[in-house]
Amino acid sequence: MATAPSDYVFQDEFTADSTYEVGEAVSLWKDAWRRLTSNYFALFGLAVIVLLLLVAIVSQFWTPYPTWKQGIGPTYGGPSAAHPFGLDQVGRDILSRLMGGAAIALAVGLGTALLSSVIGIALGLLAGFYRGWVDTMISLLINVWYGIPDLLVVMLFVVIINSRELKWIIVAISITAWLNMARLVRGQTLALREREFVEAARSIGTRDVGLLTRHILPNALGPIIVQATYLIPAAILFEAFLSFLGLGAPPPEPSWGAMCAEGYKSLQLAAHVTLVPAFALAITLIALNAFGDGLRDALDPRMRR
Amino acid sequence: MTRGTLLYIGQRTLLIVLTAFIVSSIVFIGVHQLPGNAFVGERRTSAASQQALLQHYGLDKPWPQQYGTWVTGVLTRGDLGESLKQRGQKITPLLLREARVSVSLGLFAMAFCIIFGMGLGILAAVKQNTWIDYVASFLATVGYSMPNFVTAFLLILLTVTGFYAWSGGNFYEDIGWGKLEQIPVPAIALGLLPMTLITRLTRASMLEVIRQDYVRTAWAKGLRSRVVIVRHALRNALIPVITVLGPITTGVITGSVVIEYLFGIPGLGKEFVSSIFQRDYNVVIAVFTFYAVLVGLANLAVDLVYPILDPRIRY
Repeated sequence: MATAPSDYVFQDEFTADSTYEVGEAVSLWKDAWRRLTSNYFALFGLAVIVLLLLVAIVSQFWTPYPTWKQGIGPTYGGPSAAHPFGLDQVGRDILSRLMGGAAIALAVGLGTALLSSVIGIALGLLAGFYRGWVDTMISLLINVWYGIPDLLVVMLFVVIINSRELKWIIVAISITAWLNMARLVRGQTLALREREFVEAARSIGTRDVGLLTRHILPNALGPIIVQATYLIPAAILFEAFLSFLGLGAPPPEPSWGAMCAEGYKSLQLAAHVTLVPAFALAITLIALNAFGDGLRDALDPRMRR
Repeated sequence: MTRGTLLYIGQRTLLIVLTAFIVSSIVFIGVHQLPGNAFVGERRTSAASQQALLQHYGLDKPWPQQYGTWVTGVLTRGDLGESLKQRGQKITPLLLREARVSVSLGLFAMAFCIIFGMGLGILAAVKQNTWIDYVASFLATVGYSMPNFVTAFLLILLTVTGFYAWSGGNFYEDIGWGKLEQIPVPAIALGLLPMTLITRLTRASMLEVIRQDYVRTAWAKGLRSRVVIVRHALRNALIPVITVLGPITTGVITGSVVIEYLFGIPGLGKEFVSSIFQRDYNVVIAVFTFYAVLVGLANLAVDLVYPILDPRIRY
């Protein structure tokens, strides 16, 4: 039943390299963009992300009904012309809440990606550049932190801080999310600091700060961007977990995780109350991960499909 | 067991102990920064009885002393203290009972994700660029982005309204815990995301190995496809897959918090959530520390499996 193995072994070797044109001068970023736009799955991801951004912005000024308003129609009302996604257990319009939830998800996703990237990049640069005891301390911190289930840390932090404001949720998720970024940047820095161009910059008297920000960081930017892209869906998922457990954005806020939690007890009665936010969450995460995968493949030519 | 291996185990054990110490002390300090205590808002709020309660739990002493008492209790008697909310309930037996539930769920989920993940990954790699590969890759990409509670909803809908009705209500009981047939649905919900990770990894590393010369030689020798794939290719393709077993274990433990809460399974995860809400800090500290040790041990176990599969790795 096995097809002749030679078929796929040899064909691939011949076709793979022929797509590369020799002698054409394109910048890394232009080349990456071309690879990204030829990846349909990544483009689908990008389209969803743009749509989501638009919805999130619009929701700040206009939603069909107020996201918090109860008793707009029959409770557990199914989809209709006035309410495309139906109504929830207290008669709120699910479409409006879904729109508001997009803003929360994106705020948490982008905020966390930004904050945890800053922490991770700073610690990674320090550990990789100075090595010695600095590296030992930071690496130990990372190793110990890795051994602690992150969701529990975040839950405990939210309880201790005793506030469920969005900014604190972002901080809570960020203090666990920086680990991979720090590891990545540390590894990149360790390799880059030995390179000739860093040596050259050092020899003309560039200070450490200049070496780190002007020479090492820009050269590690590709993997950093990819890693930061993956942080966004991870943070959105985390916020959903928190909201689902009742520790996310406080009740009237239309967080997708909270909407799922409020609806799942009536799953059999009115599945749409739960399934609509659940699918919104899943599609968002699929899109972001697809875009991240596309970006990774585009920025790292060795990762050819 | 060489000397190096023992040394490595020793180092790792030290790291686990250190982690447990750091975790328990940070949680301890953090929890004691909170205003009020677990007894505020209870019906019995006369000053005298409050004082009596605080004294009973040693909460009237400064926290370094409390922490000292707690650590000695754990180290000498394995005593994790007493629940603040369920009076007289020692935490150690509670934890052990709940850990049994969580571990059985977790092991089932791990078995599911490893067996199906690898199977699907191998199938996709061997049948590369056929519809099997496309379906498997699509499932892996979609499943990878599926929050476990969303998977759980779909499974519940499937089993409750589908299977349950079809089997005349005999298939799934939703009260109590402990029957074997109650494990699969939550375990699959828990294991689906790590399964997709394993599928992707197995497929990628199988594709790489399958192109190697020694595999070509194996084909050329006229070996049967099963032998080539299982004995020559799979063994080497497994190594990158093993590396993610550590993070996957952590992921399953984390995920079980949500899944146990959702399904009402009386395990550690559910206990953690409810103790956080009830401000039963003694239980929070105990569960947290227990999890840290569990993750550490799981990771150590995974690292000790490497050298068995890959003799090039030595400690």
